[in-house]
Amino acid sequence: MAPEQSPPGVRIRGLTVVYRTPAGELPAVSGVDLDLAPGTITGVVGESGSGKSTLALSLLNAVQPPGRIAAGSVEIDGLGDVVALGGEGLRRARGRHVGYVFQAAQNSLNPLKTVGKQVLDLGRSHGVENPRGLLADARDLLGRMGLDGARVLDSYQHELSGGMRQRVGIMLALVLNARLVVLDEPTTALDMITQATILRIVREVHAERGLTTLVITHDLGVVAEVADRLAVMYGGRVAEQGPTREVLAEPRHPYTRGLLGAIPRLVGDIGEAHALPGRPPTLADIPADGCVFRERCPLRMDVCETGRPPVVVSVSRSAACHAVRDDDGGRPAVAAATGEEQA
Amino acid sequence: MAVLLRRLAGHVARGFVMILVVTTISFLIIRSVPGDPLAARYQKLVEQGMAPDAAQRAVEALYGFTPKGGLWEQYLDYMGGLAHLDLGQSLSVPGAGVSTVLFSAAKWTVIPVLAGTLLSFLVGVVMGVYAAIKRTGVLGDLLAISGSLLHGVPQYVLALLLGAIFTTLVPILPAGGTADIMIDPGFTADYIGSLVQHATLPVVTYALAGYGGWILAMKSSVVTVLGDDFILAAELRGMKRSIVFRYLARNAILPLFTILALSLGLLFGGAIFIERIFNYPGLGLMLIDSINNRDYSLMGGAFLLITTAVVVANIAADLLYTVIDPRVRSGGEAA
Repeated sequence: MAPEQSPPGVRIRGLTVVYRTPAGELPAVSGVDLDLAPGTITGVVGESGSGKSTLALSLLNAVQPPGRIAAGSVEIDGLGDVVALGGEGLRRARGRHVGYVFQAAQNSLNPLKTVGKQVLDLGRSHGVENPRGLLADARDLLGRMGLDGARVLDSYQHELSGGMRQRVGIMLALVLNARLVVLDEPTTALDMITQATILRIVREVHAERGLTTLVITHDLGVVAEVADRLAVMYGGRVAEQGPTREVLAEPRHPYTRGLLGAIPRLVGDIGEAHALPGRPPTLADIPADGCVFRERCPLRMDVCETGRPPVVVSVSRSAACHAVRDDDGGRPAVAAATGEEQA
Repeated sequence: MAVLLRRLAGHVARGFVMILVVTTISFLIIRSVPGDPLAARYQKLVEQGMAPDAAQRAVEALYGFTPKGGLWEQYLDYMGGLAHLDLGQSLSVPGAGVSTVLFSAAKWTVIPVLAGTLLSFLVGVVMGVYAAIKRTGVLGDLLAISGSLLHGVPQYVLALLLGAIFTTLVPILPAGGTADIMIDPGFTADYIGSLVQHATLPVVTYALAGYGGWILAMKSSVVTVLGDDFILAAELRGMKRSIVFRYLARNAILPLFTILALSLGLLFGGAIFIERIFNYPGLGLMLIDSINNRDYSLMGGAFLLITTAVVVANIAADLLYTVIDPRVRSGGEAA
């Protein structure tokens, strides 16, 4: 059960996930292209309903009914296209190849069984031949994350705090030596100190075990803290992606600029923070044509009504916006002139 | 263990007080019912032409006692007897103690109702899980509808219906009684076969009457647990279907155990309609008879038995929960 030599890379191509509603099948994720480079931490940021959690579930081909993956592929090294997997093959891949960590606020443990027993259930499900060894691994992992491993394995969910539960969740995602880990809102509903601890643990464990990590969050701060690369999602599409530093320092897509402009600073006037006007689209009112962000966009043009924004790529970054030009270094053409005052 | 014992001690104390209160209330209610069985007997003998004196003596000889004193003294007398587990003399079955009458009736109630309840519990729970998992399919719908339907039909209608079908239309089962009177009671295959044959209709009626409630309760419980995060979490961790199913079933059945324990307590109340329809001499039938006969002491005894059973079942349900749900267990420790 030696870990593979290198962490797996992931290539998501043209991923479209639709949900069946009384109004027909509506896309929650539409035509997303995203690469997770081996050994990196990628952060996906978006508001509620941006499709980021659906994207995360797609990595395990686990979109829940009434949703389904309608098109596209999720290619994982050593596993192939997950979208094509099913049945036992898919079940074995989950947990063993891809670890999934639930939002801390969710109760991801069976309330009637101790953590240790659930580790054993996990081992039994994946044909682990040495259950004692597995428990020892679990204990070590918990110890590594600053918990009393033996005590936690003997505990029920209700005896653990939010931060402890989240570490147990990370342990369960890693104990079978999965090298690709998806964390869905890992710090939501935790207090600030615990958030910082969990993020430190994510970073450290990622480096120590040589993982490829995907972090889903609505919190740009979390991404700034841990992610090498960042993808901003809006209305089921990737608005902008690139190296975290570059995107945060010099956002190109008007949505990313709006998000950054909405964050209050520690120093300075609270009035400098501006909320984005309007609300994010819901499944039912995502525009079918044109740009999904246009209703809230300060740079709205006529072409935004009809044409899907082109993905403008420059070096390691890309943004999907009509207003972003490739030739002038990827700056929003209009924003250069008028964007700042509007903010 | 200490938690368990402390809980048990508290429950027993509360249960004891509860039984005391109910006994007192039922004593008062029974005493305020109009009518006097001894006077009625005396009246009857006089009407039959017996001299008043002789009638008085005959009544005394028959029952072996005449009530003396006021209400308060009778109450103290009664409670004193209860303290010695003496439920008194039956008035309608001369010469027999209340406990004897109760126990001979109890076996005709407890065994069939227990069998029917457990049968409906098992079938209902299994079908409920199935109906929940297949809730979007036709079969799931049919199961749920069968549950609602059976749950909505009163017990006595079911009993009459089954009776009409299996004793008249397709006469394959006996219409009433506990066993064929032509067969000598004993530990013989004939007698036991006859017992089973006679018990079939009541048991099936109990089972059908209970089944609807169980399937509906289990279905909704399973659907609730299916929506819980830990089920999806277990699936995303690649847990085997059988293990996920066990997580689901164990969590879903938890609330039903309470209902089961409570319904087992009520089982001593007897199933008045069903026992009447199938002429089955259980506690329900006995209770009706005792009321018709103004048999105060038997009524009191029956109420006491029902109260005790319900209180004991409550305690059992709570202790059972302590054993099967770790949250309740440590909740007691933390508090």
